[in-house]
Amino acid sequence: MSKRRVAITGMGALSALGATTRELWDGLLANRSGVQRVQRLVDSGITVTTGGEVQAVSAQNVDRDHEIANRAIEDALIESKRDATECGFIWSTGLDTFQMDANGFVHRSAGVCFSNLSSRFSGPRRMIAAACASGTQAIGEAFRLIQNGRAEACVAGGSSVMLTPFYLIGFAGLQVVAVDNGSDPAMACRPFDKRRKGFALADGAGATVLETLEGARKRGADVFAEVIGFGMSQDGFDLNRPCDDGAGAELCIRRALADAQLSADEIDAVNAHATATYSGDLAEAVALRKVLVNNWRTVPVSGSKGAIGHAMAAAGVLEAIVAAKTCVTGIVPPTVNLDQVGEGCELDHVIREPRDTGAETVLSVSFGMGGQNAAIILTRHKEAQEEQK
Amino acid sequence: MVFLIATAVKSELPSVRESAPDLWRRVRRYNLPVQLALAAADEVMRFAEDTSIAAVISLAPCQPGSEDLYRWGNVVTAGMASGSLGNLRMNPTQTLHAVDNLALSAFAIAHRNHAYCLGLGGAAGQAWCGLEAVCERFEAGEENEALLMAGDQDAAEDGARGLGVALLFSARARPYSSLGRTVCLRSVTRNTQRASGVVPHAANGLAAFLSAINDGCKSYAVPPEHTDGVSGVTINLEIS
Repeated sequence: MSKRRVAITGMGALSALGATTRELWDGLLANRSGVQRVQRLVDSGITVTTGGEVQAVSAQNVDRDHEIANRAIEDALIESKRDATECGFIWSTGLDTFQMDANGFVHRSAGVCFSNLSSRFSGPRRMIAAACASGTQAIGEAFRLIQNGRAEACVAGGSSVMLTPFYLIGFAGLQVVAVDNGSDPAMACRPFDKRRKGFALADGAGATVLETLEGARKRGADVFAEVIGFGMSQDGFDLNRPCDDGAGAELCIRRALADAQLSADEIDAVNAHATATYSGDLAEAVALRKVLVNNWRTVPVSGSKGAIGHAMAAAGVLEAIVAAKTCVTGIVPPTVNLDQVGEGCELDHVIREPRDTGAETVLSVSFGMGGQNAAIILTRHKEAQEEQK
Repeated sequence: MVFLIATAVKSELPSVRESAPDLWRRVRRYNLPVQLALAAADEVMRFAEDTSIAAVISLAPCQPGSEDLYRWGNVVTAGMASGSLGNLRMNPTQTLHAVDNLALSAFAIAHRNHAYCLGLGGAAGQAWCGLEAVCERFEAGEENEALLMAGDQDAAEDGARGLGVALLFSARARPYSSLGRTVCLRSVTRNTQRASGVVPHAANGLAAFLSAINDGCKSYAVPPEHTDGVSGVTINLEIS
């Protein structure tokens, strides 16, 4: 059976920049960070008080994990004009949620949250667990299921509720979280910058609707981008840090390129993982330079976590949504808070202002804790754009 | 064609400590589900042709965490009540106990495995998604060997009892080690039969499935408690 083409026909995003994909995109183009000091964290007395909070759903809502996910899913379904009963569901609800109420912890199982979200979908219903690479892997797995004829359409993405003392103290112990940045908490997360000191944890959800291009065209659905390649790999190196030579990341990107039958010089832009950890950014930059070879000085690279924080299971899909927007518009947003590129992080970074490059084909990558890596390649659907004209 | 080559079920750590000290050194800082999953995986990978290139599909526990992690959670609660959270530190080892892909990553590190990997989360019925993913990889001609592993515990708060299961599959026909006969995984089919009484557990369903195979079962209808509650699952095998 020949492989089917796969289109993105719906997207939904809740992030620190707002409750819609439009707010996410506009915030990035404006070089604005949604990371801020969170008063309830200040009140709790912990040392890390900045984060990317989703304002649209109350922090007091103990159904916050479910609510954030569901809003993104609904927005994506509405945009694609698809019903859940026609779709598979490939999703990551991330880690269990430990929210606080007056009596202490309210433990919410990620698995139960997934089961509740997934029950209205026809199937396949797969819960992805790949740490920070989950969102990207969810899209990749959905792409593969549709491409190989095992599903006609899928909702793919992820959601996370991380801004709790439980996770902030836990991640602080791993020395990967940026502590407060004096009077300007929005500057806490500085991807690829020489003053980078880790990421800002964030809540968030991102959902995409993937379906066959043929089906999308028959329905007259808007096609935002095509997914044309997916690759994954494991570092097999260390639980807490990537290999210095970026080998795991490089392998995963090369697999995505091979899957898309593209050469590296056909990549127009990169949406980087860019966590702003010292070793993570270094390894990623090394991997990208190796893959892009002679083009690494001219392929624009942008990361989103300076603006929205690190939303773990949602991170990869929120970044894929940004990549899809780049495919549609040709514009690469800036890496918010990147001012002076750190030694070893040299790439063609987009700094302070968006760059209109006419980019059509975008690589979006995620590298997870434990060494799980995922990469997808999206491209502009030119036929749809021609028809719109 | 997908052939079942070897399986292992682990429920006790003392025997791992005694019989496999090298393995124990690798897994001792992990939580119970991960320890048991890795112990089971280690056993079946002795039958693998190349552990570094086998695809790995790993199920996260439905009851994640550990006794230590929950104890620490109570410390956080007390710290909030007394306003002393600022002084709290978390042991990074306990942070690992919350990580959903820990078994997958730990396996990859131990075996220098960079192959296809899929971490499935701790929701009810994901074991059968794992089995479907194995079939898909082989049918697409993508794999020569694949490992499916799972570990879980009855209650994370005490970490007293758990179960680890591993299954090794191959594209090449070889006798299944437990039966001495060839076991071919033909298909995993689903129906729309919803079920109640689901008991989320990453490993129990696979262990029951393995028992049925060892009894010679060729068409295994997954009991409702081991499904996701949304669809019924039947696994078809050929034993020769």
